[in-house]
Amino acid sequence: KSARPNPPGPTLFSCKVKEAEPEQENDDFTLLKSLAEGQRSKETNETPVRESLEKEPYFPDESDSTKNRRLVEDYDSTKMENGKYQDDPESFRQVDGTPLTAEDIVQKIATKIYEEDDRGVFDRIVSKLLRLGLITDSQADSLEYEVAEALQDLITKNAKNNEIEDLGEDYPVTRGDQDDQNPDAKGEEEERKDGLQDLQYFPNFYRLLKSLDSEQDAQERETLITIMKTLIDFVKMMVKYGTITPEEGVSYLENLDAMIALQTKNKLGKTLGIPGIIPPTGKTPEDDDNTKAEAAKMQKEYENLKDSTKEEAPSTETRDHPGKSEIYLEAIRKNIEWLKKHNKDEGKDDYDLSKLRDFMDQQVDSYIDKGIIEKGEGETIKRIYGSL
Amino acid sequence: RGGRSGTELRKALVSVWLQCPSITRIYTVGESFEGRELLVLEMSDNPGTHEAGEPEFKYIGNMHGNEAVGRELIVYLAQYLCNQYQQGNESIIDLIHTTRIHLMPSMNPDGFEKAASQSGELKDWFVGRSNAQGVDLNRNFPDLDRIVYGNEKEGGANNHLLNNMKKAVDENTKLAPETKAVIRWIMEIPFVLSANLHGGDVVANYPYDETRSGSTHEYSASPDDVIFKSLAKSYSQFNPVMSDPQRAPCRKNDDDTSFTDGITNGGAWYSVPGGMQDFNYLSSNCFEITLELSCDKFPAEDTLKTYWEENRNSLVNYIEQVHRGVKGFVRDLQGGAIFNASISVEGIDHDITTAKDGDYWRLLAAGNYKVSAYAPGYLTVIKKVAVPYSPAIRVDFELESLVERKEEEKEELMDWWKMMSETLNF
Repeated sequence: KSARPNPPGPTLFSCKVKEAEPEQENDDFTLLKSLAEGQRSKETNETPVRESLEKEPYFPDESDSTKNRRLVEDYDSTKMENGKYQDDPESFRQVDGTPLTAEDIVQKIATKIYEEDDRGVFDRIVSKLLRLGLITDSQADSLEYEVAEALQDLITKNAKNNEIEDLGEDYPVTRGDQDDQNPDAKGEEEERKDGLQDLQYFPNFYRLLKSLDSEQDAQERETLITIMKTLIDFVKMMVKYGTITPEEGVSYLENLDAMIALQTKNKLGKTLGIPGIIPPTGKTPEDDDNTKAEAAKMQKEYENLKDSTKEEAPSTETRDHPGKSEIYLEAIRKNIEWLKKHNKDEGKDDYDLSKLRDFMDQQVDSYIDKGIIEKGEGETIKRIYGSL
Repeated sequence: RGGRSGTELRKALVSVWLQCPSITRIYTVGESFEGRELLVLEMSDNPGTHEAGEPEFKYIGNMHGNEAVGRELIVYLAQYLCNQYQQGNESIIDLIHTTRIHLMPSMNPDGFEKAASQSGELKDWFVGRSNAQGVDLNRNFPDLDRIVYGNEKEGGANNHLLNNMKKAVDENTKLAPETKAVIRWIMEIPFVLSANLHGGDVVANYPYDETRSGSTHEYSASPDDVIFKSLAKSYSQFNPVMSDPQRAPCRKNDDDTSFTDGITNGGAWYSVPGGMQDFNYLSSNCFEITLELSCDKFPAEDTLKTYWEENRNSLVNYIEQVHRGVKGFVRDLQGGAIFNASISVEGIDHDITTAKDGDYWRLLAAGNYKVSAYAPGYLTVIKKVAVPYSPAIRVDFELESLVERKEEEKEELMDWWKMMSETLNF
């Protein structure tokens, strides 16, 4: 760019030279200048090489790997053996006409539930019994507890005979409910240790149980434990039969624990919450996860049953805006799921929940300040994040 | 009636943000007359910031409160983009990573509430159209068309005609708060491409809206008539109703003679002074068109799904149009950005300017062009470019300042004098 112009002759700066003629000096300066300009104009008429669009790197293909569903290869033939009753399982007499004992009923119900993989069986039967006036509400409660026990036994028995797919190291096979049978027989501490071993992987549920330590709560505690264990076993069964993948099972159970935390918080930690925020039951194109539908069904049914026996103060937040909380919860859940999957695909470490929570809290506050969301909405969002 | 309420609108936007917080942000550009926030959901890989070289895009709906389809479609679009992003849709991911997309479902929430609260099947054609003060927001913008038409005849600037923001906007009592908020928004963010969504007909309308002669119907081409037609067509071609040549007019006596291929020049259809579309083009670098999306201004709820299906591909494809023409950076010789440099295209009497990072985006249809960059105090540089339909061609400019040139000349002379004096033993 700075090529030296060829000097035409002795030309000088006016300020430096005393002797130069003004006229000549001007001419030469102009000449120099034009030479310099000539150089420059050559350089500006360039035709640029076509450059390709600068592409920012973006993430590699993130399409959902097909969720591997196992074939029902290991169909459990022992099921047939256990569940063979010739009479109608929902009638209340044996074949020979003698009335069924309470224990018979419990066994029949448990077996039916096991065979059909459907807890709804219990509800159908119990509501029939209640309608017919054959049992009272509190008897229905005990019945539930006993059916759960019997179911446990069935599952354990069959688990011993067949290979049950582990959900991973986190969820060992439950070894039956020997701990729950006689709540008064052992010392409190021992009992707790045994009964709650399997549940240590549900920190929020565990905490809830710990808070129910009074005499009156004992029954409720036991029932909760049984229900939880039943749910775990259901999930295990579904994994075993290939209805869901182990990952889905784990994810479902993790969500369940989170849900419990949320409900517990809503109720100030004492009683299990009423349905206000339940996992979405509708199938969206995104998640073909029927475990959630199952779980939500079960939870709802449980809570319906509970409602008739216990009075509970409704959470005002969920009463006023049940739709909003649900929608927000669903949205947050989708984000977390995406983050988990996205980081896994990228080979990164698992996302940092506390960082995300802090960031979202900050954003929520900022949005409240700017009038973008209401304070109540903000609280809801923070609460959802806080419970994760 | 079809459409979410204000709280439901906000709920929908917040849900998208909660689902996709890493690529979205909600902000407000101001308040309506009755104090409702004019909410915007922005989507990009770095929400909240302008990334150098990344073009900015906006959709604005419901500036006429009783024209509700656009409002709903923008919300559907936000949900769609978020869902598709998370599901690994590569072209959507690419779009969000290379564009900053701003979505304003409702510019006139007050009008919408009024229109929505009407009972019965048939809504009045006009109730809720204007804002709470009775101002038609699409006639409320400073009329820059008149100024540019004058400049065409007598000489003068061909771009950025809004002078004296203070007088023309801040202290202008004739402007509605919604209008002011949007003007400030346009001035603050270097938008490149935009569309505003209406109802009452089905067509993609492009500048100029106001006729040159002042008559009610007259084709009024802008200097960028060619690219505008292309942009409008890029929308209409994916909307089966809009592009249907056999489509009957919305109402029996409607005059749609100006419509071809689902597009129309604004003035040819009917003259609109003070509209937002032309204001964008004449006050900023943003090219905006007007989309009329439904014969029925406020259709029933169960029809919204159909409107979404009809418009989804168009809405996405139109955003992608922002990546056309020429784009790049204007810098000085030290690599520093030159803000407000002018980019001129030979044969098109409309210049655009660089944003704060020296970045620019000049939408152009396919063809060969001479593009020049100019800034006061600098020497103009001209480059020849062959532009395809898409994607945009990168053309950077390094401008030498006049001062630098003078310094250089001085230096050359000094060198020469030194050489001479040494040779001649001065």
